[in-house]
Amino acid sequence: MNKALRVAIRLVASVALVAAIIFVYLRIAPANSVTVALTLVLAILGIAARWGFAESIAASIAGVLGLDYFFIPPIGEFTVSDPENWVALAVFLITAVTASELSVRARRRAAETIARRQEVERLYTLGQALLLSGSVRTAARDVVNSIIRTFEIPGAVFFNQLTDEFFRSDMRGAISDEHLRQVAETGEPLIDANLQIAIVPIRLGGQSTGSLGFVGCTLSTAALNALAYLVAIGIERAKTIEETNRAEAARQSEVLKATLLDALAHDLKTPLTSIKGAVTHLLAKPRDAEELELLTIANEEADRLNRLVVEVLEMARIEASKLHPDRAPHNIMDIVQATLKAQEESLKGRRIELRVPASLPAADVDFEFIEQVLKQLLDNAINYSPPGAPLIISAETEGERIVVSVADEGKGIPVDEQSRIFDKFYRGRAWREKVLGTGLGLSIAKGIVEAHGGKIWVTSTPGKGSVFSFAVPKFKGELVS
Amino acid sequence: MSAKILVVDDEPQIRRMMRATLTSSGYQVDEAKTGEEALEKLRSYQPDLILLDLNMPGMGGLEACRTMREGSDVPIVILTVRNAEKEKVEALDAGADDYVSKPFGMQELLARIRAALRRAPGAAEGGPHSFASDDLEIDFEGRRVRVKDKSVRLTPKEFDLLRHLVAHGGKPVPHRELLQAVWGPDYGDETDYLRVFINHLRKKIEPDPSRPKYVLTEPWVGYRFAMPEGS
Repeated sequence: MNKALRVAIRLVASVALVAAIIFVYLRIAPANSVTVALTLVLAILGIAARWGFAESIAASIAGVLGLDYFFIPPIGEFTVSDPENWVALAVFLITAVTASELSVRARRRAAETIARRQEVERLYTLGQALLLSGSVRTAARDVVNSIIRTFEIPGAVFFNQLTDEFFRSDMRGAISDEHLRQVAETGEPLIDANLQIAIVPIRLGGQSTGSLGFVGCTLSTAALNALAYLVAIGIERAKTIEETNRAEAARQSEVLKATLLDALAHDLKTPLTSIKGAVTHLLAKPRDAEELELLTIANEEADRLNRLVVEVLEMARIEASKLHPDRAPHNIMDIVQATLKAQEESLKGRRIELRVPASLPAADVDFEFIEQVLKQLLDNAINYSPPGAPLIISAETEGERIVVSVADEGKGIPVDEQSRIFDKFYRGRAWREKVLGTGLGLSIAKGIVEAHGGKIWVTSTPGKGSVFSFAVPKFKGELVS
Repeated sequence: MSAKILVVDDEPQIRRMMRATLTSSGYQVDEAKTGEEALEKLRSYQPDLILLDLNMPGMGGLEACRTMREGSDVPIVILTVRNAEKEKVEALDAGADDYVSKPFGMQELLARIRAALRRAPGAAEGGPHSFASDDLEIDFEGRRVRVKDKSVRLTPKEFDLLRHLVAHGGKPVPHRELLQAVWGPDYGDETDYLRVFINHLRKKIEPDPSRPKYVLTEPWVGYRFAMPEGS
């Protein structure tokens, strides 16, 4: 309504300006028709540049009529006697119209340039706003708020497909959830010029992550696409930051856990030391068989509790990646001998077959840690095979690695359990009651071997026995004695 | 007269248990709660042996051990809840004679105490009486050592190690034999003990510890004392 009135006023003003010029040349400063025509062309160009095409056409027609009536003979009539004057009037009209058109086109282009520049500025502002958002959730909310504020539109909505969440400004209903979902799924933008609604998909790296809806939007398609891309990057960035923070928090909690467990282990071992000291002292000279039996139980249980504390602590260290093997060239045979010596007691009555070639190259390992792995495998073999059954310890080179195996002739491990026995706290179904253990030994062995860059595995035939093997790197440098 | 043992631990229950068991095993016992108190008691109580906890508030066990070693040869046995090779070597390096990880069986601890208290059979039992070269003099009876005319203090274990090596007059002595001769019959596999003590010994008596001329390593076998020509 306002616009029509404004155009009407401008039309009248244009015609009035032409009338004024004619009046001035007619009554105040008389001049010939050429001067009048040139002045009018100047005025019409001004009108075209300032207001628009319609106004300049109106002025042109008024100008032609005025010129004809007041300056071209016969004066006082709307007729032209001299055909030359027809040409003059036609040239005037064509010049006025063409110049008007050119001027209007230039004006429109300038306006468009300003609009594009504004869009770019707004996108930039939005981009900055998105960069400041912390989490994905706040980023999504910021997207909606920033779009409304920056582009001065009545409403916007963001649909996060990954979390299936909608973030709306207060305009429920203008854009339906269904439409947003549809655009996110198909990846096709939905633009309704009549309702002034636009929905564009948010995609990054070919993957759709949601959609963005605008109400009262006058943005160009290019701007909409740029906006969608900006939002996609903003959300992705927020997601990455969130994941990084989470990973860092997880790592810190692992470190904290290891420190806490260290302190806990100290606090658990201190009372154990008093108990063990007191019990073993009494055990050295028991008064009768009953006392001997009870003290033996107390002593064994103190040992078991201690083992549990040690293993839990070790597992925590492995999980916090705080296990740092002190690697050096070591002979596997030396480690095997040391382990057998330490296990002398529990190996009594067993035939041990050693298949370690004298030519075996040195392994690049931490002696103590690998001794612990070997001890664990031996413990397992002893616990899970009948007393007196032979054990085979073998070692061989396999490419750049040395593979060490401990084979027993026990019952073997059911196929479905083979992949789980290296899991924390997992204990074989058939043995839970019979063998005292924590279920940590093998996962610790796995952690140690992996800290050396190696791997550990089992092959087992139920009824025949199991072979536990681990591979560790060969020592590559020069040996210096 | 029974040996006097100083128990250094910040945990009261452990001190109580140790006092009861050690007293009943025939030792005299006194206690210290901190490293600082232990240094004080070392002077006032004059113990024959110290059982030293590593993990104490304030002056820790390692520092206490080093400080004690500056002025005393008293045998020190470290007790600790940690059980890593690195800790063990650190403790021995700080001057401890032995290392027992908590929790321990009392019989084991008593064996370690006996080993730390015993002196290797002395010169009276057929060892050499003295050794002398241009820059090293050893008086085995007086347990005195002079390097380039300057008196050097060796701990009892270092001294016994040196005497045992010299007694073999240039022949290599296997690890196990050395360990059993110096620490006692229960020992034999603690080659890391030897490594640390031989290092200490070299630092004290060798003109150039990185290129030893007296205490030599026999790879895979043990150690040997090189007799200078003509002695």
